[in-house]
Amino acid sequence: MSKPAFDVRNVSFRYHQVAALNGLSMYVKRGERVALLGANGSGKSTLLRLLAGLCFADQGEIAFLGESLNQQSLQDEKAFFSFRQRVGLVFQNADVQLFCPSVFDELAFGPLQLRWPAQKIRERVGEVLRAMDIEHLRDRAPHRLSGGEKKRVALASVLVLDPEVLLLDEPSGALDPSSQARIVDFLVSCGNGAKTVVIATHDLDTLEDIADRCYVFENGRIAGEGTPLEILHDVELLERAKLIHPHAHVHDASAVQPHPHLHRH
Amino acid sequence: MHIPDGYLSPSTCAGLAAAAAPFWYVALRRVKAALHSRLLPLLSVFAAFSFVIMMFNLPLPGGTSGHAVGMGIAAIVLGPWASILAISIALTIQAVFFGDGGITAIGANCFNMAIAGSLVGYATYRLVAWRAPLRSGRRVVAAGLGGYAAINVAALLAAIEFGIQPLLFRDASGMPLYAPYPLRIAVPAMMIGHLTFAGLAELVISSGMVAYLQRIDPELLRATSGTDLPVGPVSAPAGSRTPRKLWLAVATLLILTPLGILAVGSAWGEWSARDFADPQARREMAAASGNQAPPRAVPRGLERLSSIWTAPLARYAPAFVRSQTFGYVLSAVVGVGLIIALAMPLQWLLARLPAARRRRKSFVEKTARGLLEATGHALFAEDMAAADGFLQRLDPRVKLVGIGALIGAAVAVHRLWVLAAILALSSLLALASHIPLGLLAKRVWLTVLAFTGLVALPAIFLTPGTIIYRLPLLAWPLTEQGLRTAGFLILRGETAASLAALLVLSTLWTHQLHALRYFRVPVVIVALLGMTYRYMFLFLETARAMFESRESRMVGVLQPADRRRLAAASAGVLLEKTLQVSGEVHLAMQARGYRGEIRLLDEARMRANDWLRLAAFAAVATLAVWLGR
Repeated sequence: MSKPAFDVRNVSFRYHQVAALNGLSMYVKRGERVALLGANGSGKSTLLRLLAGLCFADQGEIAFLGESLNQQSLQDEKAFFSFRQRVGLVFQNADVQLFCPSVFDELAFGPLQLRWPAQKIRERVGEVLRAMDIEHLRDRAPHRLSGGEKKRVALASVLVLDPEVLLLDEPSGALDPSSQARIVDFLVSCGNGAKTVVIATHDLDTLEDIADRCYVFENGRIAGEGTPLEILHDVELLERAKLIHPHAHVHDASAVQPHPHLHRH
Repeated sequence: MHIPDGYLSPSTCAGLAAAAAPFWYVALRRVKAALHSRLLPLLSVFAAFSFVIMMFNLPLPGGTSGHAVGMGIAAIVLGPWASILAISIALTIQAVFFGDGGITAIGANCFNMAIAGSLVGYATYRLVAWRAPLRSGRRVVAAGLGGYAAINVAALLAAIEFGIQPLLFRDASGMPLYAPYPLRIAVPAMMIGHLTFAGLAELVISSGMVAYLQRIDPELLRATSGTDLPVGPVSAPAGSRTPRKLWLAVATLLILTPLGILAVGSAWGEWSARDFADPQARREMAAASGNQAPPRAVPRGLERLSSIWTAPLARYAPAFVRSQTFGYVLSAVVGVGLIIALAMPLQWLLARLPAARRRRKSFVEKTARGLLEATGHALFAEDMAAADGFLQRLDPRVKLVGIGALIGAAVAVHRLWVLAAILALSSLLALASHIPLGLLAKRVWLTVLAFTGLVALPAIFLTPGTIIYRLPLLAWPLTEQGLRTAGFLILRGETAASLAALLVLSTLWTHQLHALRYFRVPVVIVALLGMTYRYMFLFLETARAMFESRESRMVGVLQPADRRRLAAASAGVLLEKTLQVSGEVHLAMQARGYRGEIRLLDEARMRANDWLRLAAFAAVATLAVWLGR
């Protein structure tokens, strides 16, 4: 078997003197879709930033395709561009991701930085605008987009580089059902092994469709690992990781009893 | 404070832009060296922040409110060089989108507020704060004084720029072509307002934000503090004790600065007046002002005005009191004193008005409404630009240069009828582009008339010349020259503002940026303008949400000091958000391959048709300048 896309070994990371990751180990195989589950502040976003080579571990090591990923390895321009081309990160906050004056400029930003020729950029941007069904937004400014449109443009701005590895930070958070469905459809379409996908989420409803394997985060550590079905049935784990909440509600009009919110009928 | 189009001659504008250029160059280099790849996100996000801060309605002592420019706090958080860039970008966007300050006066406004303001504000802050610990109350005082000094130096520079216009630029009949008032009027007129209201607004925001940062995140003050001392404990009583010290310092300044500043100002006036008679100096001035001969005598109307102040003392006082210089100094001190004397009973009165009536004018509500209007204003312009009309169909590059040339012509011409013709042409362009004239009238014409009309009004009576009418009772003379002077100021302002509005209403910002890129404006500047505009909306929205939620929770009436603290805290929250967003944006840019050198797609070539249209614009502008020479 080929080398894993990411191999994270015993990584610790402190953010403003607060430990965000605490001796965490995990791996992502090539072509695999991995979901990172956990409450807010459990370290999912931090791990994604480390995987994207935007921050670097205080302790431990991260390898990308068998090569060590650290500040030195990204120092060289060629290595930097090659890594950026292969790994794309979609930020949780679309307002952060979209910093250009128009949708077209937004999509052209990545290829321009990676020194693609102008003609190729124009073609590729047109292609992605069509594929993501956002052609009509081409000249729109980010502040004129709805939340769902922003997310789609943010995703497109990364897909335009056609990265092998896609890192997504809560791609369907705070979206209306229809916009959410579009994102989920896209993630489902990545399921044939064409792309390696790592998604941070706390949306358990769509988990089975969008992920092959899950990690559950708790205070900067891995609290559990397994297929979506295994994880969804481990109620005690989900409760401990604050992904579900014991919730009182009426079932058969007679008894009111506290029990976990998540259930399957 | 924001100099509009038509107040300064083209040569003054060019001179000030040229004077600003080396500062921009040095600032860009220094900041780039210090910030590396963080330059772009930090500066553009901070420029957007200062833009939004300028919209905050700050409650001032005396029951009034005012707006700050924010160069003091920018210099304190970013350092003077980055502040020069951030404020310049904010001023440019203000001039282009909101008509605050003229397009041709961007260089002058940046020189006064962004450059001189940042440097003076920073120097004052460092000098007064010296090596005080980060949480020391002294830093709050220093920040307040820094902001106060910054805005007043900027105002003084603007006043001097206004004041030299009538000395240097007159038409054949000796009539002023641009700002009509000489230094002795321009300086006190500008300074009285800035030493009181505008200065206090700047003081409130600078000191309030530093006090807020001291409580929340004092490390943000570290870079410009000049001290390695640990942060130090929170000095609890500082909150109540510091302001009094600050007010005391400002009161002293209020009394002292008019004396100092006006002494300088009138010295300028004296120097210029004497030089009118000296042939050597006349030649120099003529050469400096594009070979226009300066008039032979100082306008007599101004002497009349100054004698009003010295008159009551004249008969009994010794000679130095009877001098004009003393008159101006006295007029300024009296003016400042009058305003303070009026403000105090007003505050007392306001404090006793029924709460319900005061609620309506709450600064929180006013600010929220202002922020919403700014967003709406810009969004509306974007919708207009998407319409299908004559200007909208033009290539943005043609528009940028063509309309720019017309604005230049409007500022340069020396004949009223040519100005009127350009204004008529811009109305025609508006009609051909489906931009309703009613909109132009409301947005541009009335606004300019309200502001410039007020400025121009005294000139009607003060300019010596052929008297055509005397006001009943007062017997003030209305002169033909005075009317024409006022006409010039108003028509120039109207024409330039209309043309600028046409450009904004017919062109998407992204297209304007692409056009700038075509004309080899440095990529970094284009990118800064683009990102600032983008984040301006985000912060306008954030600030509005903040004020609205505050408004919904506000019960009863806040004390003035609490209102000021609230405004400063809101600005502080926004600043924290600003810095956080800039860090995140930097990461997002890196994630897509940014290494500190921004790249933009170059525009396609201009077509023959585009060149033709550009030539048409240029021909009209040239014709106007020639006819109006």
